[in-house]
Amino acid sequence: MKAIRFLIAFTLLSIIAVPGYGQAKKKQVLNLFCWSEYVPQEVIDGFTKETGIKVNVENYASNEEMLSKLLAGGSKYDLIQPSEYVIEALIKAEKLEPLTLENIPNIKNLDPKFTKLPHDPEGKYCVAWMAGTVGIAVNTAKVKTPVAGYKDVFNGTHKRRIVVLNDSREIVSWALATLGISANDMTPENLEKAKPILAEWLPQVKVYDSDSPKTALLNGDVDLGIVWSGEAAILWSKNKKFTYVLPSEGAHQFIDSLAVPKGAPNKENGEKFINYILKPEVSVLISDAFPYTNPNAEAVKLLKKSQRDNPASYPPGEPKLETYKDIGKAAKDIDKLVTDLKGGKK
Amino acid sequence: MHAAIAAPDTGGTRRPGLLGWLLMAPMLLWLIAFVIAPTVILLVYSFCQRDDLGQVVYTFTWDNYRRIFIDSDTGEFGTIYFTVFVRSVVYAGLTTIICLVLGYPVAWFIGRAPESRRNLLLTLLMIPFWTSFLIRTYAWITILSTNGLLNGFLQYTKLIEEPFDMLYTPGAVVLGLVYSYLPFLILPIYGSVEKLDNSLVEAAFDLGAGPVRAFQKVILPLTQPGIVAGVLLVFIPAIGMFAISQLMGGGTQPMMGEVIQNQFMQARDWPFGAALGMTLVVLFAVVFWFTSRRQGAAEG
Amino acid sequence: MPSGMPLVNLLCAGWSGMVFLFLYIPIILLVVYSFNASELSFIWGGFSFEWYGKLWRNTALIAAAKNSLIIAAITTVFSVVLGTLGAWLLYRYKFPALRSLSTLIFIPMVIPEVIMGVSLLILFTVLATPLNQWLATFSEGYFENGFATIIIAHTTFCFPFVLVAVQARLSGVDPFLEEAAMDLGAPPLKAFWLVMVPYLLPAIISGALMSFTLSMDEVIVTFFVSGPGSQTLPLKVFGLAKKGLDPSLNALSTVFIVATAVFVVLADRMRKLNR
Repeated sequence: MKAIRFLIAFTLLSIIAVPGYGQAKKKQVLNLFCWSEYVPQEVIDGFTKETGIKVNVENYASNEEMLSKLLAGGSKYDLIQPSEYVIEALIKAEKLEPLTLENIPNIKNLDPKFTKLPHDPEGKYCVAWMAGTVGIAVNTAKVKTPVAGYKDVFNGTHKRRIVVLNDSREIVSWALATLGISANDMTPENLEKAKPILAEWLPQVKVYDSDSPKTALLNGDVDLGIVWSGEAAILWSKNKKFTYVLPSEGAHQFIDSLAVPKGAPNKENGEKFINYILKPEVSVLISDAFPYTNPNAEAVKLLKKSQRDNPASYPPGEPKLETYKDIGKAAKDIDKLVTDLKGGKK
Repeated sequence: MHAAIAAPDTGGTRRPGLLGWLLMAPMLLWLIAFVIAPTVILLVYSFCQRDDLGQVVYTFTWDNYRRIFIDSDTGEFGTIYFTVFVRSVVYAGLTTIICLVLGYPVAWFIGRAPESRRNLLLTLLMIPFWTSFLIRTYAWITILSTNGLLNGFLQYTKLIEEPFDMLYTPGAVVLGLVYSYLPFLILPIYGSVEKLDNSLVEAAFDLGAGPVRAFQKVILPLTQPGIVAGVLLVFIPAIGMFAISQLMGGGTQPMMGEVIQNQFMQARDWPFGAALGMTLVVLFAVVFWFTSRRQGAAEG
Repeated sequence: MPSGMPLVNLLCAGWSGMVFLFLYIPIILLVVYSFNASELSFIWGGFSFEWYGKLWRNTALIAAAKNSLIIAAITTVFSVVLGTLGAWLLYRYKFPALRSLSTLIFIPMVIPEVIMGVSLLILFTVLATPLNQWLATFSEGYFENGFATIIIAHTTFCFPFVLVAVQARLSGVDPFLEEAAMDLGAPPLKAFWLVMVPYLLPAIISGALMSFTLSMDEVIVTFFVSGPGSQTLPLKVFGLAKKGLDPSLNALSTVFIVATAVFVVLADRMRKLNR
């Protein structure tokens, strides 16, 4: 018995001391913390082949998850892939390393529209990965009336046939948009104004899904929904009956970027990776897999016509778009508002 | 519940000697390090505030607990979180009952099967659960959705005209919960059934009062520890479960687990999430302590 | 056989058959559709091995599956040891703090997974700094979240399940079983090993099965305490949901099922040979 216990103690110690043992700087690695299903495996493999750097990938399914893990500490990441408002918050909290732009010459390939944006005015903390919008996907085989904005979605004729993102901030911003209020103006007074609108809208929703809202549309469980543009793009490429409309009241444009967190052990490797994905032929691979809006002007030139024609990936015209800014403490109030209404509180 | 975990009524009567404490040391140390310590941290968090980024600020406040119990708009006792909790309990309770009805006969069947077959049957029972829970749930979505297999089959056989909504309903959520938790109820009951003395069982049936009486008077009490353990293992985790209500229920009716998870993700309000979690844990611990005390007193 | 019993057994067998069918419907579907040429799960597009090929090339997914298996195996071993020992000790000894101890063991089963995940993550972070300082004195490596932390986390909520299962079997056991063995001259530890353990084996096995299953399928806690390089299968699948699950996951599930079935049959054959 004593022998067994000794064995157990020994095993415990060896397990802690060995596999959890981080690698010393002799071996070149890159710890990539990215959205699940946003970085194609071929891109990662191509990078390793070209540079010899091993890529350790960890995934998350929302910005908040990423923030949770990043801030709690415990793992050292070299690259993260936040959305624009998170970058702003991170810069404010001094959690990002400024990039050494000389290491990223390919940055010239970016469309100037996607550089020096409000969340990173000096353009030195992040490099745009993919952009997109949140808009209305419509199954035109089922929905015959015109849908131009949020009000049309929730006018009562599509009761319980709607899917929306499970994102409190998005949901509230749509209500505010119909009132002409900016999505970044989340004051308690504005939230009060949004409340009656949402109280009318939310009971009409059948499914809340941020991960794969296209599933409900494809399965015929819903007829229309407010979804990410990439999801709508995939729907359109599968069946042209799924159209995508940017709401007339105003839509959210999001920009996901690559950034280096403070204290990253392999910062240069991270910059090498950024430089690699800015190559037009590599960027095309990303667009092939994830049909969002590619900010790389050189890459867009190389895309197929069917990709450039996709109304969800590259919306025509000059739609009314707005990027999110960090709203700090208001995140808590928004979540409370939506949860209360979902729960049936009047 | 108590019989399964609290002081047993037979057997243990001695106080542990040095050897006893030594043997208990690993478990005690483990519990202190990985159960008590994290719970203490959480307790500390629940009294803290959060900063703009959602990180914890070590300033004492009762706000989090106040928000759980007192409605911020009306100032009355009773909040949306009560409703959410009750809803979770109802779903968990329904799931447990259905699992019992479905599972007890299965546990009986496996437990009374010839010994060579038992392990095979047990493994057969568990195999579906070695595929990922997400994949299984998506499989159910494929079956239950409007354009899905069940609707397709029913329409093909002309049993129904139009497809009807099976997914994103409370029924779908319960089905998902039952499907996830069934083995956890069957296994402990199996443990009890397996050790039933065969002659005892036969004697029970021989009493001539029929199988129902035999079951009620003899078998049920004998398998009670297994039933109790099984119920525990289903009911309590089911209260905290959240993924199923989102995936199969559409997320329209928030459950306790979802609300808590939200606080650590979207809402970025860790202290409040910690407060919610602590409240649940304390509630369960109190109920458990109370009933185990009652049982201890009843046994004299 | 006494009256009524064959009927009861027959009814139970039939009922069990139906329950098993219910359990296996999604599984059968998974297997069938893993051969479906069409990507949309509910339209049959013809027979194809395409997804198995895709699975074979998806090195990340296979690596994650391997990680999950290793972690689940080690977790089960630890859980069985801690849980069985714990159950037996709780049964054998009586002391004032007994009830508190029982409640304490109860907590990891009850606590919502998010809470457990977050609190363990913070604990490991706090521990990492002094541990790394100590390590730095004689090596260049550093401690970070990985296999060790996941195994610890999994064991913490798995062992109570084993404990409960074993306790269910312990209550009502003949208390003099062990006494008898010891009276015959066996030292207490040997009495435990030679008498108690075989008796408890069915409960231990069912507890071990539960522990393995729980560990294989665990997502939330794992998310918080894993690190790059220690991604588990459920984590990868959880992420894949964003794009919409593709049938190569069905292929993976089928592989698991077939592998388990083969293993079970082999184990059964070997046991019969030993007899």
